[in-house]
Amino acid sequence: MTITNEPRLVGARVVRVEDPRFLTGKGRYIANHVLPGMRHARFVRSPFAHARITGIDLSGLPEGVAAFTGQDWAEYSIEGTSRYEGFQAAPMPILAVDKVRFVGEPVVMVVADDPYTAEDAAETVLVDYEPLPAVTSVEQALREDAPLIHEDWTSNLFVPRAYQSPGYESEKAAGPLSVQGRFINGRHSGVPLENRAVLAEVRDDEIVVRTATQIPHLVKTAIANAMKVPENTVRVISPDVGGGFGVKAQAYPEEVACALASRALGVPVKWLEDRREHFLASHHARDHVHDASLHFTEEGRITALTATVHTDMGAYSVFPWTATMDTGMAMGILPGPYKFTGYKVEGYPTCTNKVPFGAYRGVARPAACFTIERLVDWMARDRGIDRLEARRMNLVQPEDFPWNSAGGLVYDGGSLVESIDVMKEWIDYDGLVARQAEQRKQGRLVGLGMAIFTEQSAHATEEFSKRGVPIVFGYETATLRLDSTGHLTIAASIHSHGQGLETTLAQFAGEVLGLPLDRVKVVFGDTNQVAYGSGTFASRSAVLAGGAARLAAVDIRRKLEKIAAHLLEASEEDLIFTEEGVSVKGSPQSNVTMAELCRITYQRPDLLPEGVTPTLEASRTYDAPPGQGTFTNALHVGTVEVDPGTGQVTLDNYWVVEDCGVMINPLIVEGQIHGGVAQGIGTAMFEEMIYDEDGQLLTTTFMDYLLPTAKDVPYIGTKHLETPSPSTEGGLKGMGEGGAIAPGAVVAGAVEDALSELGRVWVSQIPLTPERVLRYIHEAKENG
Amino acid sequence: MIDVPAEGQVTVEFTVNGVHHSVETSPRMLLADLLRDRLGLTGINLGCEHGYCGACTILVNGESVRSCLMLAASADGAEITTVEGLSRNGELNPLQQSFQEAHGLQCGFCTPGMLLTATELLEGTEGPLEEDQIREAISGNICRCTGYVFIVDAIRRASERRDA
Repeated sequence: MTITNEPRLVGARVVRVEDPRFLTGKGRYIANHVLPGMRHARFVRSPFAHARITGIDLSGLPEGVAAFTGQDWAEYSIEGTSRYEGFQAAPMPILAVDKVRFVGEPVVMVVADDPYTAEDAAETVLVDYEPLPAVTSVEQALREDAPLIHEDWTSNLFVPRAYQSPGYESEKAAGPLSVQGRFINGRHSGVPLENRAVLAEVRDDEIVVRTATQIPHLVKTAIANAMKVPENTVRVISPDVGGGFGVKAQAYPEEVACALASRALGVPVKWLEDRREHFLASHHARDHVHDASLHFTEEGRITALTATVHTDMGAYSVFPWTATMDTGMAMGILPGPYKFTGYKVEGYPTCTNKVPFGAYRGVARPAACFTIERLVDWMARDRGIDRLEARRMNLVQPEDFPWNSAGGLVYDGGSLVESIDVMKEWIDYDGLVARQAEQRKQGRLVGLGMAIFTEQSAHATEEFSKRGVPIVFGYETATLRLDSTGHLTIAASIHSHGQGLETTLAQFAGEVLGLPLDRVKVVFGDTNQVAYGSGTFASRSAVLAGGAARLAAVDIRRKLEKIAAHLLEASEEDLIFTEEGVSVKGSPQSNVTMAELCRITYQRPDLLPEGVTPTLEASRTYDAPPGQGTFTNALHVGTVEVDPGTGQVTLDNYWVVEDCGVMINPLIVEGQIHGGVAQGIGTAMFEEMIYDEDGQLLTTTFMDYLLPTAKDVPYIGTKHLETPSPSTEGGLKGMGEGGAIAPGAVVAGAVEDALSELGRVWVSQIPLTPERVLRYIHEAKENG
Repeated sequence: MIDVPAEGQVTVEFTVNGVHHSVETSPRMLLADLLRDRLGLTGINLGCEHGYCGACTILVNGESVRSCLMLAASADGAEITTVEGLSRNGELNPLQQSFQEAHGLQCGFCTPGMLLTATELLEGTEGPLEEDQIREAISGNICRCTGYVFIVDAIRRASERRDA
């Protein structure tokens, strides 16, 4: 839709309209919501990874405290069942029934008048368990004699997956040389600063669940399905959410439990997760092991990739993604931004006695990027080629787009090769590499790493249909109302929890009507206020909800044009929309303010032209056809110094050249990149959920599970390229996740480079904790 | 409101954002919970409740304190500032303005604690601040959204602004 007004809001580096409420302490997080008569819940959780429940003794509960057990709610569950043939399904209970399958699984819920008493009361509950052998690794889970986590299954595998590209064998043969390895990404998760939180209220015929979620409508569907009630009796409200990152993009048993408890007790029930529970029960992510070989020619031209993907999916398949999401995503994107066509891959999403595995910013792509980028580094080293040049010669070239990738995706465009040129010049790459080589000769362990990737974003109907998920997350909807005072409300089916969508949707749609930002309000998060939609995940909200909002704004503009043309006695084509209102080209004295135009439309239908109805509302649903996603790209480079004595890695510099198509607001784009990179630095250097062999999670506080601090994350430089998407409204591409994809590969490459003077080493496991780096230093010295 | 049924209530008197309060509470009541639930100061966000993440940071007698680790009773006689006390008459103060201009916040959950830590830093220093100084000062406040780059910018901007 080619509507451009001056001044343009799209592309403007404007500050966020949502900031003042957060800066003054008025964030509307669930914890701040209070309802009359509200009571407080606490969950008693399993201390065993795998055990039978043989008895529950509630006799010690203080007077006035209510309790629920799995038997009370055995008929309810959350189902994350894939449509893939052969998928072994298991309902996720609301409270464990008969058996527990991970440490932290909810077993008993107690409800008291205040949270302190609830916590004390939970301590009085005695549960008898008969421990069963725990399955705590993929390797163990897949053994013939492994204990079955779900007794009616034939193995602990959710469903095996395999794919082979046409011509794989011949392409593999065309690349007689190879490098290979086992690439390990530690188990970790998004860890938002706000824990999960729920406040459920069942009144009359309505179940109102306030919950900190990224996907209000999908949670509503999950609650309605679980409780076996019609959807129109459930309302989910997700107000301000203190970070999501994918952790809050699943339906959780606690959400259903609070609704059930409120229904049973007739009072509102609130549950605020504590940080220990967050580690023990909020979904984990990232735990990938890839065995992969890269096949290439003597000149360093890649011909084929062979890979096996193992993911440790924990005890249950999650709703709505199912347990196949990460494996499938990795299988699709492992070939990365490269042009080779030979590809064979197998995937094994496996069930273990651990916290279920859900989404985290970047979903599988950090692991896939790690594997392919490490392999390309190793090939470059093997062939004696500069690492950036090894990438350049193997990338999908500008003339190749649209490119049908070896993984079955359609890369619709980008600036991969250009990003290399821009980066080289920006950071004086050649000079930097030479200086570091000199410093290494003097004994300093300094190194440089890099990773280049293309990221599927805003994928919709086509892609999710292919993935076999129960719900195809195809579209989003925006309903716009321009009111009688000339103010616009955008009710969008997505959610905003840090992404700045209250500002960017207002920019993208408001521009069409010439409205300044202070006359646009974005509403989201309440299923009674916004149309059905999936929510915010997968770098898609600006593209899908933005596209919907912009199309609806155009509908309203068309109507306003008719009315204004009639009132001003001008032709519709001659109208100009500005902040002042609507005027006629060539005769500025002929004008009407937006407020007046809107007032007339609502309050003086007698003045409207023939056939034009009053009110200014429009609703559009948008699925960014063709729905297979639009591809962003980025090149990340970082430099490190390794302390030879302690193994401590210091990240000195980090640079990003990225292309997310047309930017609505570069300030927000940069903020998203910085945040993604910082989380990726956590992936690369710090964050790891560590289980012992009994399935006990050892990392349950911020003292054991380290998050990157302001001292760990360096200044992050960004440069933008702008290749408009050929398919989406306004040429937008999604960009929320990208920053988090590359840092693991960058830091691993940089550490390997830093150790190169000591000897040859193959860095293939993250996070690079000091302990692991010391092992690599030792290995380098051994190898010489 | 949390109404803790415990024996031996204590009376705590303190000044919060310039207003004097006298509150009866249980000896085990945490300062953060009391300020949030009894005084309605919900700008205090609880991120970990073990003193690590810094989201609940407030100023007690001018010094930054983790309100999740302090008992309400031990704040008797104290002068307390929370995020609600930073802006006056609905206007953002220069530090808050700097956070908005520099895009120093995303989800907003760490923001109140970050602002109070920065307030302490600005009050204890003079002149424009260096990046290292700022990073050191905020290293006890976790932000999961911004990667700190724009928070550092915001605090530096505020430090330049105060001398202008």
